[in-house]
Amino acid sequence: MDFLIQMLVSGLSVGAVYALVGLGLNLTFWTTRVLNFGQGSVLMAGAMLTAVMVGTGVNVFLAVGTSLAFTAFILWVVEWGGVRPLRRFSGSMGWVVSTLGIGILLQGVASWLFGTQAVAFPDVLFSSADTVEFMGAYISLQYIAVFVISVLIVGLMELFLRRSIWGYGVRAVAHDRDLAALMGIPVSRVVVLSFLASGVLAGIAGILVSQVSGTVDPNFGLHLLILAFVAAVVGGMGSAAGSLVGGLALGVMEKLVGGYISPAAAEVVAFVLLIGVLTIRPQGLFGKRETVKV
Amino acid sequence: MLEVRNLQVSYGAIDAVRGVSLTARPDGITALIGANGAGKSSLMRAISGVTPAKAGQILLDGEDITRLPPHERARRGLAHALEGRRIFHQHTVEENLVTAWHFRKPRGKFQAALDSVYGNFPILAQRRAAKAGTLSGGQQQMLILSMATLHQPRCVLLDEPSLGLAPIVVAQIFDFIKQYCAQGGRVVLLSEQMASLALRVADFGYVLKHGQAVFEGSREVLTRGAGAELSSVYLGAGKPRSSGLPR
Amino acid sequence: MRQLGQLLTNSWTLGALALALALGAGHADTGTVQMWSFVVINILLAQGINLLTGISGQISLGHAGFFAIGAYSSAIALKSWGVPFPLAIVMATLAGSAVGYLLAGPAGRVREFYLAMMSLGFGLIVYELARELRGVTGGVMGMRGIPSSQIGTLQVFGWHIDTVAYFRILLAMLLGVMLLLRNFVKSHYGRALYAVHVSEVAAGSLGISQAAAKRTAYAVSAGLAGLAGACYAHMIGYLTPESFGLMRSIEILVMSIVGGLGSLAGQVYGAVLFTYLPQKLQAFNDYQYIVYGLILVFIFTLLPKGLAGLLRTQTRYSKLDQLRPDPGEPPVAPLSVRPPAAADGPLIRVEQVVMEFAGLRALAGVSLDLRAGSITALVGPNGSGKSTLVNVISGIYTPTAGRILYKGRDIAGWPSYKVARAGITRTFQDPRNVPSFTVRENILMGAHRRYRHGALAAAFNTPVARREEGGFLRQVDALMQAAGLAEYADALMGQLPYGIQRLAEVARALASDADLLLLDEPAAGLSEPESERLIELVRLARDHGMAVMIIDHHMDFLAELAEQVIVFEAGDEIYRGDMDGMRTDPAVIQAYLGAEEPAHA
Repeated sequence: MDFLIQMLVSGLSVGAVYALVGLGLNLTFWTTRVLNFGQGSVLMAGAMLTAVMVGTGVNVFLAVGTSLAFTAFILWVVEWGGVRPLRRFSGSMGWVVSTLGIGILLQGVASWLFGTQAVAFPDVLFSSADTVEFMGAYISLQYIAVFVISVLIVGLMELFLRRSIWGYGVRAVAHDRDLAALMGIPVSRVVVLSFLASGVLAGIAGILVSQVSGTVDPNFGLHLLILAFVAAVVGGMGSAAGSLVGGLALGVMEKLVGGYISPAAAEVVAFVLLIGVLTIRPQGLFGKRETVKV
Repeated sequence: MLEVRNLQVSYGAIDAVRGVSLTARPDGITALIGANGAGKSSLMRAISGVTPAKAGQILLDGEDITRLPPHERARRGLAHALEGRRIFHQHTVEENLVTAWHFRKPRGKFQAALDSVYGNFPILAQRRAAKAGTLSGGQQQMLILSMATLHQPRCVLLDEPSLGLAPIVVAQIFDFIKQYCAQGGRVVLLSEQMASLALRVADFGYVLKHGQAVFEGSREVLTRGAGAELSSVYLGAGKPRSSGLPR
Repeated sequence: MRQLGQLLTNSWTLGALALALALGAGHADTGTVQMWSFVVINILLAQGINLLTGISGQISLGHAGFFAIGAYSSAIALKSWGVPFPLAIVMATLAGSAVGYLLAGPAGRVREFYLAMMSLGFGLIVYELARELRGVTGGVMGMRGIPSSQIGTLQVFGWHIDTVAYFRILLAMLLGVMLLLRNFVKSHYGRALYAVHVSEVAAGSLGISQAAAKRTAYAVSAGLAGLAGACYAHMIGYLTPESFGLMRSIEILVMSIVGGLGSLAGQVYGAVLFTYLPQKLQAFNDYQYIVYGLILVFIFTLLPKGLAGLLRTQTRYSKLDQLRPDPGEPPVAPLSVRPPAAADGPLIRVEQVVMEFAGLRALAGVSLDLRAGSITALVGPNGSGKSTLVNVISGIYTPTAGRILYKGRDIAGWPSYKVARAGITRTFQDPRNVPSFTVRENILMGAHRRYRHGALAAAFNTPVARREEGGFLRQVDALMQAAGLAEYADALMGQLPYGIQRLAEVARALASDADLLLLDEPAAGLSEPESERLIELVRLARDHGMAVMIIDHHMDFLAELAEQVIVFEAGDEIYRGDMDGMRTDPAVIQAYLGAEEPAHA
């Protein structure tokens, strides 16, 4: 029972982070129909930067703030250099390769600067030793904090999108670019803002996921990208609430399978889930079927 | 006043608009008539900026707006209701109106504008919380017109607003357009495939064929010709062409 | 530059080079020969990516996974089961192919980047499984003792294969594979893969199933990677999961893209470059991720066609250059003559078809018959449902209600490629041609549904395959003559003016030798002489027994052709009869011009 609760809690916790990353992916997808294949590496870069800065004695808030600014900046570069010039060409090949390239580049730079081994992540939220008791199990406060923060951010973003003016702008651009422009919406500015926001979300997610795992590994970026993508697909590309549901489901399944069967099997879970969803219901739980226009 | 000088619009290899010039004056509706594919929509898209013009000039009250992006033109009081009843289908009626209001540097209160819309079209008030995609064709067109005129823009482009609507709804819509224009200082450019419809409300009109303006004149001039001339523009001359192509 | 490119890709040059290398291997030192073997393996991998990405437009970010599957399966087959070397290699290829086919299952139903993400996941999983399944793969410590040329333990039926002999075998295999690939790409299969890449909808209208095409591309590409894997295993003799990680997948991708996507020769350049660079430049090794990352980011903006683009080499998509046309042969007719239409029964019967989109009724219960050897015009104001009807018949939409009886079967709801294969071809409001194909290749694409020979025959250029392709090429020549396009035969479609593109698209439709031709606004934007040509083409089709339905607004154009005109309005038919009657019919005038107002004073 103790084991089960631990698995559930850690599953919900990482699942919420997957949802957060999935939300970042969705944001850029809404406004440009582009999926940033380097998102995972951006996450890793932000976490690396935070770890290193805190390690050298920089104040935690300053470190976090700087990394978030950094991740937002990288996404700005992605939009300007990797997405905008390549959207002209029909088909996805161009931007998949260029956004992936940025991800690989970040991974290379991180390995070059900080080595290929995992770097320990400092205790930014609480301490890894802080626990709370629940039904006989000792649950790490960090897990709970990460879960709460992630869900809160997803909720806030959902609210922001539904209520704020900028949210209206994003949804309008996502729906119909031409019409949005005619409504006076500065489309390119909205696109850039959505990328910046996606960068900030990636930065936060990177810090959160590194907190619960305790380390930052230069290679975990791509891994996380795939998991976040599966979360987004299961929930339905284009739905924030969907990626939350998808993320939590994925996280819990992953931990349960990993705990009760084997870590290798856990790897396969996400993949099987993805294939399953794409075969049975490609639009995910909350998504809409796309129709072909002739 | 809206002035278009020698405008050219191309989509890749296709020349949709081949050097069209027109003037749309305020306090009267200007009609754009022509068969499908004549270039009416492409012309309007170039005027509002959604499609970039290959060559030519667009002047709004003397100001050259040819190089401005579409959202800037919208903020300067140019509104365009696209063909095909384009609205934000997934947003509610009220959300559509909010989106139409907030980004064009509004003056005055949103509530007042909203009340005015609901006054004009009570059915929209009733369905204010419904998703725009679930509205009937006529209701959607009312919404589109409301969104376009919410700011009292000085120039409104309407692309085939009557398309697919029942005559009674068309009458309602045209009444609204006439009222809007009558309020003074407003330019309305109305494109319709159904010539006589446009001529019912317009004071002046241009006939487009294959991307060029082939005919222009006041309502009287156009209506007199409506029987034979326009008919031939749409339905062909009726004489077999000599196919003198050597084998 | 172009001449250099032509020289470097000429079959004789490459053949001579291969011969030189094969002989030279006997005199070079072992290390060099090893490098050459690596190059061959990398060329195989790059060719796989080229087929999948360059030609078919799919992206694989985990190709090392197939490489691994090939390597481990061949190693296990030879080492643990004692399977002879040639058979093990074949098994490895098939294993890779099978997995590739399965992975591409969702192809056609989801957008490309979904598959790209799946391939990324796939690559990572294979890597993880290779590490975890110690019993099968030896895990992180690796698998040793694989019979290999390097160690001298590889033998086939008693004959020991050393490094030099192994290289010669690899070289011969590579030449064979590349020859087969070239024939395959130049066949209607290659054209189909590329067409699906460039315009799925147009490909569907020619009878090409885009899902099947993508799966085929994945299967062949993965098979090539599997083959490369087997070659690798038996060269080195020792496998570790580290050889099959993400970096390997990225390397393969970079090799292929830098070499030049779409060019078979380009893959050779890319492979040579990226096999030698990491060896020669130690710095390259240290900063591999950074270098590859930079390359991927900038390659499509700076050098989209890769090295092959610099040398202006281009694989053409027909076997025109392989088949020497016999000048003595009599010219063929552009279209086959079909048996006279059966006096009874229409070719196609549309029965009460209704089409509704989310509350909008585009077709309100339409019925019509079309007979073979007839031309019917379909007209009506904007939004009247004409294009919708064509879309419903050609399989783009499934009707909400009603039947479409064609040759005795109800084809309502059939996917467009199936409808096309059954004998209904359509054109589009925008000519949907393949811009980088020549006019001849584009028109030849029209004949796709008529090809009978299979992939193997195409790859091996069997006499049957050659006869078929040759026959169709001659027919395309005749069609080009009829359409007045002969002078543009070898010009690239994308550079030609709109009128020519339109005529070519119609000629392509004729090349399909369909029974029913649906033309969607073919006369729009055509000049007078072009219109005349179009009229000739349509009459040609009719005279050969095709049924033709034309949507258009150019009444004068239609008057030349149509025996019957149907007028639509708001999803309903309002007139059926001849053109003269239509001009004076009050319902039609009302539909177009609106009701006449009583004249004002």
